[in-house]
Amino acid sequence: MSDLDFTMKVLVVDDMSTMRRIVRNVLKQIGYTSVEEAPDGKEALKKLKGGGFGLVVTDWNMPVMTGLELLKAIRADAELKILPVLMVTAEAQKENIIEAIQAGVSNYVVKPFTAEALLEKLTKVFAKKTPVNA
Amino acid sequence: MLTEKVIEEGGDEVDQAIDREIYDELGELAKYVEATTRTLREMETPLATTADQLPQANDFLAELSRMTEEGTHKVMSLADAIGENRTQIKKALDDIQALVAGKGDPSKVQDRIRAIANLVEQDESRLLDISVALSFQDLVAQRVKKLVVILEDVQHKLLKLVVVFGLQQGKAHTDHEGQGYEMLKQLEQSKTTALEQGLVDNILGEFGFN
Repeated sequence: MSDLDFTMKVLVVDDMSTMRRIVRNVLKQIGYTSVEEAPDGKEALKKLKGGGFGLVVTDWNMPVMTGLELLKAIRADAELKILPVLMVTAEAQKENIIEAIQAGVSNYVVKPFTAEALLEKLTKVFAKKTPVNA
Repeated sequence: MLTEKVIEEGGDEVDQAIDREIYDELGELAKYVEATTRTLREMETPLATTADQLPQANDFLAELSRMTEEGTHKVMSLADAIGENRTQIKKALDDIQALVAGKGDPSKVQDRIRAIANLVEQDESRLLDISVALSFQDLVAQRVKKLVVILEDVQHKLLKLVVVFGLQQGKAHTDHEGQGYEMLKQLEQSKTTALEQGLVDNILGEFGFN
């Protein structure tokens, strides 16, 4: 837990406003004070290019641009590629997980999740260097 | 003379046989056209109602999504408000502890206790509001039941069409493409192949995620 920088700006990406709110609340409960939201990958990418974010927590199934497409776009961007991306999704079939790993996901949380599960994953993400395939 | 008469009579019989055959075939054709017209007339209403029902079902589904979203936000807002009150109660208790320990004016203890009582009362009302807000689940369930009935009705009418027009012969050409089919496949798969976090972690472990 000590490895986590709670002042870091986090971007929560999900098309469901309720889910964004849940993730935001859980992140606040963990200790994060600066959390922003985006309803899809395209909007998220626009915000990320504005700079200042230290972590992306994204859903998989979203309109306009999916979480996987967002992850690939992040890893393909010279300025964003080292950004940790945590996938928080109901897409939990083996092929989805492998696809996400191959695309360079930092870790993977299955919905529904607890604050403890998210904290555990975040601790792991920041305890090691983010796997990047790019 | 006799030969001519025999030929003439034989020719009449042949002509009559041909006429009867044509008449029979025309009769069959007329029956078939009538049956087809009747079937088409019978299908007209189910087809029209199906065409009406499907957009309605679509609207109901969109409405369900809105209802669950609104209901969830309502519950979350109330939970947030209770959380904020809890922080205030905690602070008031800290104040009381300090006042009792002789830090500050002891007469303020009563004020703090009253403040706590007010906050608890507010939360009682909010807890009740949460229960009421959760009744959206009942509304959603009722609508889902109605939607299931509509879908069953549509399915029944479509099956009738399949039977009437013998569409099952074209089964080999069933369309297994398109977004709808893909979504249905995903829903079906998610019933049996959705993984728990523990299993996901095992897969992640295989790829060096510890």
